Amino acid sequence: MVATNGPRTDIAVVGWAQTPMVRRTDLSETQLLLRVITAALEPLGLTRADIDFTCLGSCDYITGQAFSFVSNLDAIGAWPPKRDSHVEMDGAWALYEAWLRLQEGDIEIAVVTGSGRSSTGDPTLIYPMEMDPFYLAPLGADPLTFAALQARALIQAGITDERAMAEVAARSRRDARSNPDAQVKGDADIDTLLAGEYVRAPLRRHDLPPITDGAAAMVLATGDRARKLRERPAFITGFDHRTECHNPGYRDLTDSPSTRIAAEAAGLGTSPVEVAELQAAFTHEEILLRRVLDLGGEVAVNRSGGALASNPIMATGLARIGYAANHVFGGGKRALAHSTSGPCLQQNLVCILEEDA
Amino acid sequence: MTRFVENSIVFPYKRSLGPVIGAFMTGLTEQRILGIRSGDQVIVPPLEWDPQTGAELDPDGMVEVGPAGTVESWTWVPAPSEQHPLGHPFAFAFIRLDGASTPLLHAVDTGAPDALRVGARVAPRWRGSRVGHIGDIIAFVPGEQPEVDGPDSGPAEAPVTMMDYNASITYRNPVPPVLDRLREASRDQRIIGQRCPVCERVYSGGRGYCPIDAVELGEEQDVDLPHTGTITNFTIVTPVQYPGQTETEPFARVFVLLDGTDVILPYQPVVELPVGEVRVGKRVAAAWAPPNDDIDDAGAMGGAYGHLIGWIPSGEPDVEDPDLVNRIF
Repeated sequence: MVATNGPRTDIAVVGWAQTPMVRRTDLSETQLLLRVITAALEPLGLTRADIDFTCLGSCDYITGQAFSFVSNLDAIGAWPPKRDSHVEMDGAWALYEAWLRLQEGDIEIAVVTGSGRSSTGDPTLIYPMEMDPFYLAPLGADPLTFAALQARALIQAGITDERAMAEVAARSRRDARSNPDAQVKGDADIDTLLAGEYVRAPLRRHDLPPITDGAAAMVLATGDRARKLRERPAFITGFDHRTECHNPGYRDLTDSPSTRIAAEAAGLGTSPVEVAELQAAFTHEEILLRRVLDLGGEVAVNRSGGALASNPIMATGLARIGYAANHVFGGGKRALAHSTSGPCLQQNLVCILEEDA
Repeated sequence: MTRFVENSIVFPYKRSLGPVIGAFMTGLTEQRILGIRSGDQVIVPPLEWDPQTGAELDPDGMVEVGPAGTVESWTWVPAPSEQHPLGHPFAFAFIRLDGASTPLLHAVDTGAPDALRVGARVAPRWRGSRVGHIGDIIAFVPGEQPEVDGPDSGPAEAPVTMMDYNASITYRNPVPPVLDRLREASRDQRIIGQRCPVCERVYSGGRGYCPIDAVELGEEQDVDLPHTGTITNFTIVTPVQYPGQTETEPFARVFVLLDGTDVILPYQPVVELPVGEVRVGKRVAAAWAPPNDDIDDAGAMGGAYGHLIGWIPSGEPDVEDPDLVNRIF
């Protein structure tokens, strides 16, 4: 039995914003952050002077510059000097650190960001450099290859098939039509999708995420401050992340035990969620995650269009938490958000948001 | 139209291998593939610890597996990248070598995807000349029998302890419009800065935003800066001959606070100022390239100031200010 990981202090998401999600932006990462932080703060009547703590998630390899987060600090107005931290992870992990920091109880407001300009380099060349340096990186082991190997393992095990995967893509594009921030949207015919060429068999174009430039910023506040800042704050009632070993060859690719344990620790099992936002950048990942999280047909999954509609690396997971918070802002009771990192769902994060603390 | 610039970064890593991965790599030079025992499992490729439990494993427990194995999962790469092991379409596969408990990721060279299936039997095609690198196996090929490509130069003479890894990534970045304005103004021997409308600080260097107030600065905030300033701090660089270093003799990089501005210009080159005469408080003036010269990106501020090529002594008396040295931003 895993102890449920709930906060000691009431902490809520009170607002968030994201940049337009596009294939290539003219703006620098710092400019994206300047705009998106302002966009997250302004509706709440807050300024940068009100921020007690910031945590930024970004990746030097994607930016192509060592310590690239240092120039991103120019976007937070760090004068007089501020409490700040950085994670070389999706902004969802930056949110986790801010959530921990707020539990100290001495500060009230934190801002977290996730940012990445994937168009800056070729993701299929950058990604292998982050893999095991002895056995994987020298082969140029790229994200599409790992995803395809996991998809075939799931098909071979009878857990999914190419048609079910195409149905996930079609539903995501359909749902994305009502999301003004989504990059890939529209109606798609399953048979037409299945007639497409393989990019990495058994994956076709529709099974893959788009390449997206973008950033997201989120504002967290503690208890009473959160209630003053907005109606219906989205309280984080459970939050956990777990990792498995790195090389997918050592793992059972038809399961995701780290997701299961993180969800249990975050308290998913204690009452039902109405919506789930899963960071499934590939169609088969959504199928596996739904199965591992035991989400029934009554749970609305990735109504935003998900990562298949826009995939701003380093912000994709934080945006999932934002969409889940939107559900609570809009009258919902309970939502789940998931983020992931590493090849074949190596590390997984689960965040539960609720109307009541 | 936003201008984009490309630059490539080379990552030349040299890594030590340790007792287990080193033995695996040495084994490859001998056309042998080694795993390591963990309980009743044989982990391939081998690690110094069990990937599930973290338990330390005994390097004496290394055992030979394969050479043939069975495909457990595969995908087809129709358009290989420059980092991939083969230059023509091939498969990546998880291959469970005979005697192994875990699969090895490697390339399978079958010519076409229809020759592949889960359960297919494959064996290594060895490079004739092997150095102790996962690429000593060119790829796996269908069948039970290993092959050697070209003349066999035999095993390594000594155990393999190090590994080179070289990658090069090309990045494509937008040039902030302010930098183009700075560069263009430098043709007319003008130095452009920007004044923040909130705090009224004057920024040199073409940052494009005020980091204090976190507001973007546009063309309407451009101001002409004076051409004289003071060295606030400096370093003398003795060049190490890393890849890309073109300097061979010690050279100065100085921080210049232009008169009437609020931030320094960092890491500036100097002109007609010997290394031994660089000092804090020295007054300098802008040095310009002839207007018709083609300017590459090697000038001041990585080319941002174009025709401004560095700083030359102005002949004015030094500034005596003990706080000056603290100005590094």
